[in-house]
Amino acid sequence: MKRLLSILFFFLTLPVFAGEPAQSGEAPKAFNAGEVILHHVADSHEWHWFSTDNGNFVSYFPVVAYQPGKGLSVFFSDKIAEGKSYKNFKLDDERLTTLDGSKVYDFSITKNVAALAMSSLVLVLVFASVARGYRRRVGRAPTGLQSFLEPFVVFIRDEVGKKSIGPKYERYMPYLLTVFFFIWFNNLLGLTPGAANLTGNIAVTMMLALLTLVITLFSGNKNYWGHIFAPPGVPWALYIIMVPVELVGIIVKPFSLMVRLFANITAGHIIILSFISLIFIFRSATAGLLSVPFGLFISVLELLVAILQAYIFTLLTAMYIGSAVEDHHETADGAHADDFGTVEQRQGGSNFAHLAQSDVAAH
Amino acid sequence: MLPPPDPASDPTPSGADRMRAVAKYSGIAFQMLATIGLSAWAGIWLDGHFHTKTPWFTIGLMLLGVLVALYQVIRSLTKSA
Repeated sequence: MKRLLSILFFFLTLPVFAGEPAQSGEAPKAFNAGEVILHHVADSHEWHWFSTDNGNFVSYFPVVAYQPGKGLSVFFSDKIAEGKSYKNFKLDDERLTTLDGSKVYDFSITKNVAALAMSSLVLVLVFASVARGYRRRVGRAPTGLQSFLEPFVVFIRDEVGKKSIGPKYERYMPYLLTVFFFIWFNNLLGLTPGAANLTGNIAVTMMLALLTLVITLFSGNKNYWGHIFAPPGVPWALYIIMVPVELVGIIVKPFSLMVRLFANITAGHIIILSFISLIFIFRSATAGLLSVPFGLFISVLELLVAILQAYIFTLLTAMYIGSAVEDHHETADGAHADDFGTVEQRQGGSNFAHLAQSDVAAH
Repeated sequence: MLPPPDPASDPTPSGADRMRAVAKYSGIAFQMLATIGLSAWAGIWLDGHFHTKTPWFTIGLMLLGVLVALYQVIRSLTKSA
């Protein structure tokens, strides 16, 4: 079981775009699966809940448009829905543009912004209740929501925080726990019918990755920067190659965090929608015999992916922070212990030493 | 009073430790992809910007990206077991 999970885990960390071939949409008259799927995955200025024969059930949001020189315009998005234009504004493929082509900055409340506000509210309510539980039951066993979430908090603290960051882990626990529960809750909320695909939006994952980058850079100690601008054990003539390479590494790490979360969540949504689209592409109920079980399977898999991706993001964030805050290791003769090829200590993976020092002593 | 544990010879790493290793190494793979992808994107942008006849920036930066990605893998493997 564990092996199966780790194999699964490996594949799920790769970006899967297998859903895309289904986009070709060969239906005789224009069921364009690609368009439908991309529309479902992307952000929009309205919240389309569902459609029946009697019409569309849609919530409209305020559009906030700023035009240089003309100031702000605020109105509801039903005025520009379905190709209509209002006061010089129109939507061009969900992009707010103007009829005369002048520049406009879009600060609208979009579907993702609304979903973000709602899920933040859910997170605040849940964790306020958990915190209240701890205040009320000091030293006693947790109950309810508190007892459900405590194992996750403890897991992130012990397995992610302590092992990856080391003795200074406590400062970073608020960020790690916030990121973990934010991604997890939003992944799950994104799977509910009619919901927004928040963690599958690259702007959202970019902000999360940027926060990780900023926290890593600001907690970087002398040792961390020394390894970047003056790698120990490297002849100075090689600095001209090494320093850019290390600098690229700083950018690439959060970039891969951003792409991984975005790609995994978006790919999952695309695959589910592709399976469901098969029914409409073949226009036959028998296609449902195949596509419904497969769609259900992927949906259940996505429940696992939701927590897995939250865990991976948190773990890699902790590892990057860990590499920035770790102390200078010196061997007995005062030489650097961390030239090429040294096995122990160092970032991530191998911090069994911390386990031996702190955890075993504590339990 | 535990002897310093050696991760390489530890016979029974816990499930969490295995998860952690898988996450870490698949993370390295993803980092390779990101490095090569970013450098290819930068190369294409530069070629577009300078209107080069032969896409030397794309070629050069992609090859560089592969080298840097390999370097990063080797670094992260030698840093920790």
